[in-house]
Amino acid sequence: MTAGGAMAKIEDVPERGSALDDIREGRPFQSAIHAETLSGDPVLKAEEFSLWYGASRALWDVTMQIPRGKVTALIGPSGCGKSTLLRSVNRLNDLVEGVRTEGAINLAGENIYGPGVDVIELRKRLGMVFQKPNPFPMSIFENVVYPLRIDGERRRSVLREACEEALEGSALLKEVKDRLDESAMGLSGGQQQRLCIARAIVADPEVLLLDEPCSALDPIATARIEELIHEISSRYTVLIVTHNMQQAARVSDMTAFMYLGRLVEYGPTDRIFQNPRLTETEQYVTGRFG
Amino acid sequence: MTSARGSQSDRPAGRTKRTTPIGAGGEPSVWLMGASLIVCVGLIVAVSVLIVRRGAATFWPRPIERITLESGEAFFGQSVERRENTKTGASEERFRVGNRDLGQDSARWVDTETITERSAPEGARLVERDTWGLFFGTVERVERLAPPAGGGAGERSVTVLAEGAEAGAVLDELLPRAAERRREIRAIAASRIPAVESRIESARLDRRALLRADGDDARGLGWGAFAGLVVVGGLAGAVLGAARLRRVLPSAARPLVWSVLLAILLAGWLERPWQSGPPTGPALERRLVEIDERVTRLEARRTELTDRLGALREEDARERVVIVDPRTGRFAPASQSSPEDPMLISQVIRAAEINAMGFGDRLGLYGARWGDFLSRAPGEAPGTGGVFPVILGTVVLTLLLTVSVVPLGVVAALYMREYAKQGLLTSIVRIAINNLAGVPSIVYGMFGLGFFCYFLGGWIDGGPGTAAVSRASWWWIVAGVALCVGVAGAIAALGGKKRATVVGLLWAGAAGLAAWAVFATPYFGGFFPEKLPEQPTFGGRGILWAALTLALLTLPVVIVATEEAVAAVPGSMREGSLGCGATKWQTIRRVVLPSALPGVMTGAILAMARGAGEVAPLMLVGAVNLAPAPPISFEPPFLHGDRTFMHLGFHIYSVGFQSPDVEATEPLVWTITLLLVLVVVLLNIGAVYIRARLRSKFGGSAV
Repeated sequence: MTAGGAMAKIEDVPERGSALDDIREGRPFQSAIHAETLSGDPVLKAEEFSLWYGASRALWDVTMQIPRGKVTALIGPSGCGKSTLLRSVNRLNDLVEGVRTEGAINLAGENIYGPGVDVIELRKRLGMVFQKPNPFPMSIFENVVYPLRIDGERRRSVLREACEEALEGSALLKEVKDRLDESAMGLSGGQQQRLCIARAIVADPEVLLLDEPCSALDPIATARIEELIHEISSRYTVLIVTHNMQQAARVSDMTAFMYLGRLVEYGPTDRIFQNPRLTETEQYVTGRFG
Repeated sequence: MTSARGSQSDRPAGRTKRTTPIGAGGEPSVWLMGASLIVCVGLIVAVSVLIVRRGAATFWPRPIERITLESGEAFFGQSVERRENTKTGASEERFRVGNRDLGQDSARWVDTETITERSAPEGARLVERDTWGLFFGTVERVERLAPPAGGGAGERSVTVLAEGAEAGAVLDELLPRAAERRREIRAIAASRIPAVESRIESARLDRRALLRADGDDARGLGWGAFAGLVVVGGLAGAVLGAARLRRVLPSAARPLVWSVLLAILLAGWLERPWQSGPPTGPALERRLVEIDERVTRLEARRTELTDRLGALREEDARERVVIVDPRTGRFAPASQSSPEDPMLISQVIRAAEINAMGFGDRLGLYGARWGDFLSRAPGEAPGTGGVFPVILGTVVLTLLLTVSVVPLGVVAALYMREYAKQGLLTSIVRIAINNLAGVPSIVYGMFGLGFFCYFLGGWIDGGPGTAAVSRASWWWIVAGVALCVGVAGAIAALGGKKRATVVGLLWAGAAGLAAWAVFATPYFGGFFPEKLPEQPTFGGRGILWAALTLALLTLPVVIVATEEAVAAVPGSMREGSLGCGATKWQTIRRVVLPSALPGVMTGAILAMARGAGEVAPLMLVGAVNLAPAPPISFEPPFLHGDRTFMHLGFHIYSVGFQSPDVEATEPLVWTITLLLVLVVVLLNIGAVYIRARLRSKFGGSAV
């Protein structure tokens, strides 16, 4: 195993060490991966995945498995690469000039960075919600059914049904039922974000990627979104990036702590927050650094 | 923290207090800015007030005064303005006097001290005439000529219908019927006879085309060669279809297969081996006889109309009115060539007794004169008649220019902003486009005349002519295009950074070859070869070429506005769309473009405003003093891009500077200016309204 050494047994990782110093000074370092994350059927599997923006390296040999049907949270201080990792999953990073990757991310056993992968097809299998609500300049209805529209679906009845189902799923239907044909720009921030969630789930994605979905919202809207994530998790695999540790503790089943592009510790949420293997993780989740 | 606070309190006691300099408040600059704004607003208000006041005053009926001078001379006139003569110190007054056909200027300056008497006689009339401009005088007599005696040219007896004081009332009675006759005469002479004549002409052209087609050469590709092509094309199509279904064909091979398929379809369309040649022998004879019969029928119709016109004119010439000018004692003649014949009643459009009218009547007259001006066509002489077709020409031109510039500019800007790699080349292109906005508009006029009218128009009329290549060579050019496209597509599909230059060169080559192939095609002999070389259709000046020239002129405005609007669409919106699995094109088409639409409309509005006011290039590419027919009509193709047109801007120039009687037309110039400003403002309001609708539809987004 190389610098990551990610698949080592958790018991072999030194409990109190100098992980962060190792990372800062570029020494080899071992991620602490809890065994629970390896069991079951992984829907996403990163294998020594690294990413460079031009000359600067943003991800260092990340190896982790995202279990199917669970909510996995990525936490860590700003610039730790959690958003980059999330955007690597649907290859949105491809849009950035000078981006380069190594290693693999497997979606249902298929490397999404392999040759001949159709990026558009890949993105159709994933749903993504962004930090800032980004509804399109069209009606609420058209916003929700946008993924179906671009797939060429024209039957009004099909679109209507899918729209209502998705809005129901994102707990927005009651509020907008009577104004589906009005512009989505007129909704409040929280409503817009739930609209974006509806848009992300309308085409039944394999994984739902949430990139700090509540950071632009007020506490009440945040609470509703969190509740929603909880409901959705019964149907979808969710990967969520958050800078809010309480949020991660509340909504997720698994939590990964990242630092400076490395995966530091990854395990069940209650373990990470109550009994982490590494002192550094404990210090971070209790707010003593970061 | 504590140490920082400590160092603050340790500041030396002698340190001066921080002060704000006097100029920092910025009062002088605020005053300066306010003053500049006031100057700007003042200028705008001054321009508007001047144009509106002068333009609206033209048709107001001022009282007619009878002026008697020391010299004993007496004349009718409307007082227009007064001034101090700076040399003599005398006070002068300007009168509009009309009666130009009796040998005087339309307006004159008079020294007020030489005026011995001025009065406003009740019977004085302001006569608006069909052709000779205004006439001031009193109605003396209304008379009717006896019908012409059997072919004799001798003296015809004259019946006096009314004389003196009653003449005016009789004239007012007869005027409506005369106006009806005038309208009917005009309808027959100006539209019904020309319509029949144009149908005779088109029959003649049909005949010419038929005889011409008879001498056409044989087909280039035979059935055998074409069948071979079809087989190859079918195979290519099958390969493509199968590959799509099973996803086996490498994407690199697809462009090649597509271009081969397209070339073969082109061959089928052009060679048309299934089509029989033009009619020959008896069939041709039959067609020719048909055409001849059509011509005979039409000529009979024309004779009928001409007879009717003659009869009407005969009838019309019988009713005459004698209106006398007090200065010379002479009456207004029917024409300058026959000064002894009094004017026909039908020549009088309106003869208002202004002095006898109350305010309400004057207002009515004012409205009626405006109505006439807005609804009638200009007369032969500059400054006569109305401006309806002129307004029509301006509006049609502006709309045509907008619909041609907006798609072109938007597509170009989208490519530059969304697809082109931002680098040196795009910067150079951007600078070049911005510089285009600074080129004098007359230069565009020259370009339009040379490129659109002569080159493109000539090609549309008569095809490539001697520039055509032989059929065999032509197919080699087409093969070159297909090859370039195919190879470029294949390389592009394979990817790779360094190959971008090669792909670009191949695309440029393909575009160049394709342009050559289109221009030099031997399959095209022009759309209107029958009329050449005497009457070019599109090969001359016309409203379509004028619109395209102005489109070119306003292109930078649209490109810059669109680029800005597209750049202002937030990246998060694009990412959202791409994250949904949309392609780049779907993102642009469904998300970026709708958000940028209000900004694009802003560009369109600016382009419209700039284009509508342009005159210089129009003089070269299609605006004329007097267009024979309007650019839009109820006969197909409804929009006649080949016709010359009239334009308010150019009309200002032609009425104001090309008229032989500038004094008389000056007030009209102000009125036309007012109309031009109004048309531009109205078009802009329309566009702003559409933009507001778009904004509210797309939820007041980005731009």
